[in-house]
Amino acid sequence: MVSVVLFIAAMLLFMGLFNQTIQTATVYQQHSALATKTSDLLDNMLLSSGTPVDWGKRRINSTSPTGFGLHDEALAQYQLSPFSLMRLESSAGKPVNYEVGGQTTTYNNVTMNSGEYLLVPHSEVLNYSYASKLLGTNGSYGFSLTLAPTVHVSISIVESLPTLTFSVNVTGTGLPLANSRVIYYLITVSGRDAPNSPVYNIYSGASSTDAGGMVTVSRDDVDVTQKSYALIVSASVSGLSGVGYYSNSLHNSSYVVPLVSNFETGTVNLAHSYGILDDAGQNVTGSESLYYNVTFLPVSDMTRMSLNNGTGGSWVCGNLDASHRVDSVNLDTRNLGVLVVAYSTGASTSGVVVMPWGFSPLGFSVTFGGQPGQQEWVSTDLRQVLVNNIPYQAKLMFWSNEGHKVIT
Amino acid sequence: MLRTIEVLIAIIILFGAFMAVTYFAVLPLPRQVAPMNLRRLALTTLESLESNHDLSNAAFETPSDIPDSANWRDLQVALSASLPADVIYNLTVYAVNSSGAVGSNLYKVLGSISNAATLGAASDASSYMVASSDVSFAFTPEKIGEHGTGGTLYILNCSDANGWWITGYTAQSLAEDLYKLLSPYYLETIMVQNTSDLKKLIDGQKITGSANETVQDATIINTFGECVPMPQEYHQGQILENQGYDAGAPSGYGYTRYCYTLGQKTREQNWTWSSIVGYPFYYVSNTVAFQDEQNGWGIYGMRMTNQGGLRAFLQGLDHQQYHYDDAGAISSVGQVTLTQTVINASNYYGIYPSPTQTSTRALSILSGYNLTVGLNVFNSVGNYLPGSIYKHIFSGSSDTTGVFLAIGLTRTPDIRVTTLGLLSYFHPSLFTSGYSVSDTSRLVVLQLGLVGGS
Repeated sequence: MVSVVLFIAAMLLFMGLFNQTIQTATVYQQHSALATKTSDLLDNMLLSSGTPVDWGKRRINSTSPTGFGLHDEALAQYQLSPFSLMRLESSAGKPVNYEVGGQTTTYNNVTMNSGEYLLVPHSEVLNYSYASKLLGTNGSYGFSLTLAPTVHVSISIVESLPTLTFSVNVTGTGLPLANSRVIYYLITVSGRDAPNSPVYNIYSGASSTDAGGMVTVSRDDVDVTQKSYALIVSASVSGLSGVGYYSNSLHNSSYVVPLVSNFETGTVNLAHSYGILDDAGQNVTGSESLYYNVTFLPVSDMTRMSLNNGTGGSWVCGNLDASHRVDSVNLDTRNLGVLVVAYSTGASTSGVVVMPWGFSPLGFSVTFGGQPGQQEWVSTDLRQVLVNNIPYQAKLMFWSNEGHKVIT
Repeated sequence: MLRTIEVLIAIIILFGAFMAVTYFAVLPLPRQVAPMNLRRLALTTLESLESNHDLSNAAFETPSDIPDSANWRDLQVALSASLPADVIYNLTVYAVNSSGAVGSNLYKVLGSISNAATLGAASDASSYMVASSDVSFAFTPEKIGEHGTGGTLYILNCSDANGWWITGYTAQSLAEDLYKLLSPYYLETIMVQNTSDLKKLIDGQKITGSANETVQDATIINTFGECVPMPQEYHQGQILENQGYDAGAPSGYGYTRYCYTLGQKTREQNWTWSSIVGYPFYYVSNTVAFQDEQNGWGIYGMRMTNQGGLRAFLQGLDHQQYHYDDAGAISSVGQVTLTQTVINASNYYGIYPSPTQTSTRALSILSGYNLTVGLNVFNSVGNYLPGSIYKHIFSGSSDTTGVFLAIGLTRTPDIRVTTLGLLSYFHPSLFTSGYSVSDTSRLVVLQLGLVGGS
């Protein structure tokens, strides 16, 4: 009797031990398969343009696009469409609700900092659920795709007076970008008394970073007590380039918000900040009239960044107030660049905001997809891609929604 | 007692089996279970570095200059900055030996940079071929008309006309493709955007202010299939009715007169008129003038000319008196094949439509209009020509006065056939460069490894 009990106990013990070994091997196989699928899916996203191939420039609805892909069909492999990237629903940014005429529109928010906005209506962006269906991963797998510039250009102000001085730090994902060529453009905005619109001045210069990727940029001809300003810095070395942005507005209690309206026509709404709803669904009340002056700066190649006064040098001026909250401008849908909006309420109360047209001109990044937290295993893969000649890293995190599928 | 011993033996056997399984079934490290695809990362890194040709510039440095080269220093900075901190690299540039000498190495190391002595726990590599910036592999086509007259290509892209027998396409999409295919070979390529512009063309006037534009001796491609756009002025009751409408023609076919006008202008201007598919001049179209009229098949904005349209065009081309003639000129000959001349051109210009096609509108028009074959695109089938370029030469003259390309294939059109037909006929030369130059390529190999852990 003792031997039988002992034998059965030993059998049960070893069955458990063998089972554990088999389970571990099964999990290994699943993880290995997941890693392979991660690499394949990432290539699928980056090498396919989707259907239609120019869906990034078209209207999005419940039946279009019919295929998901980010590649720019006119360019070589791993070069992505700057417009398709603008249409990805950000899983990081908090949506913005804007109310005008009693109607509230929710905007996908890829805004980087105060003063640089990329707000696209939810109806014009591709959401994670729909993309999952197009990719055939819906229900079974989850993913999170992050596109971030390979080169990060951070700008901080050292002093404002008597000389406007900035410290620019250029780093890659690995090490600093030493000896990189730096080109900067400083846009200053002078407010004027109503009903006159503010005016621009653009200064430019060049320099190079030291061994630590640092450089100092200064101008002694800008009176920051009277002028708002925006600084765009481009840094490049050996095919690797990045762009950074910094702005300072003298007037922030009300401002102009650029809101993308229609990609097919290139329509962008210029909206008074009074229409933005807070978390309680209330908007700011006030009576300030904003006089604006808007221009588009085409950026054909950020490593040789050139700025001009937009199409034909024509700037658009107008004014917004509590009762007239929205105007619109049309951009050339073929050109990438930066929409610069200067505004003022008076001679010494000016401000400036920018919006990239195309994803890369200001080095924006986006995270698209689900939340990888709490997942049993997340596989990650990485590619270097180009977005309008700006290097980006595309990182895909991928997981199975079915968990272990073994007893643990 | 004996059973207890047996059980203990069984337990020992089971334990031994478990130990053996545990020992041999070693599970891989997590890094090996889900490795980063280093090969792809290396390839995409090389592509990024080459985006502004900086990688090429570094690769073509003189080997002796490499140690002090700014390009290599920048390349190393860019590599270090662009790769994740746990990825190490070795980038090596090889010269490709093109001498072919027996015993010589195919690749010779020119330079190498690395940020680690070894390549860590796991590594993979990608290779990338770069070309010298001093050598261009591009070709420069000779322009049609460059050494003579003409040289202007007009592509009918009229927004106020409909096409027929171009099923699956629009005339505008075909026009766009034709522009891409043919514009490198012409001095000037102009899209005729509406029938008002077409009217100017018919009147012998230039459409643009370009100095290269010449209406005389131009090539005109009708992308509307069996239909041809017609300016409103030629509509019944309009100012040019007498050149566009024949009241004496059978009911519904009055606009054959407009086709006669086109034939006349083709002769006077020595145009090369190109019909891309089907029965030429079978319909005329203007979505405004014919907005309440249809072509007999329920398509509004279009009128049928029947088989009289082609005959009228040929009468005009041959300077004959106009009269309505709807004698048939076609046969459905089935499968046809490209001629050897066109197959040769196919290889020369790198345009490869299918060498066999189906023709349901092969023409037999060589008699009665002073036409001679300038080029057969397809081999003839009996007396019928499935696709040919006809030259109009008056008897006793050696001058060509109008050229007519008719591709009598069934729908859907393949505009590459039209393109090849025109290129075979005009035969512009391609001037290639760089192929005889040696030492024009470098092989760059980027090997990536993962550091950290084991």
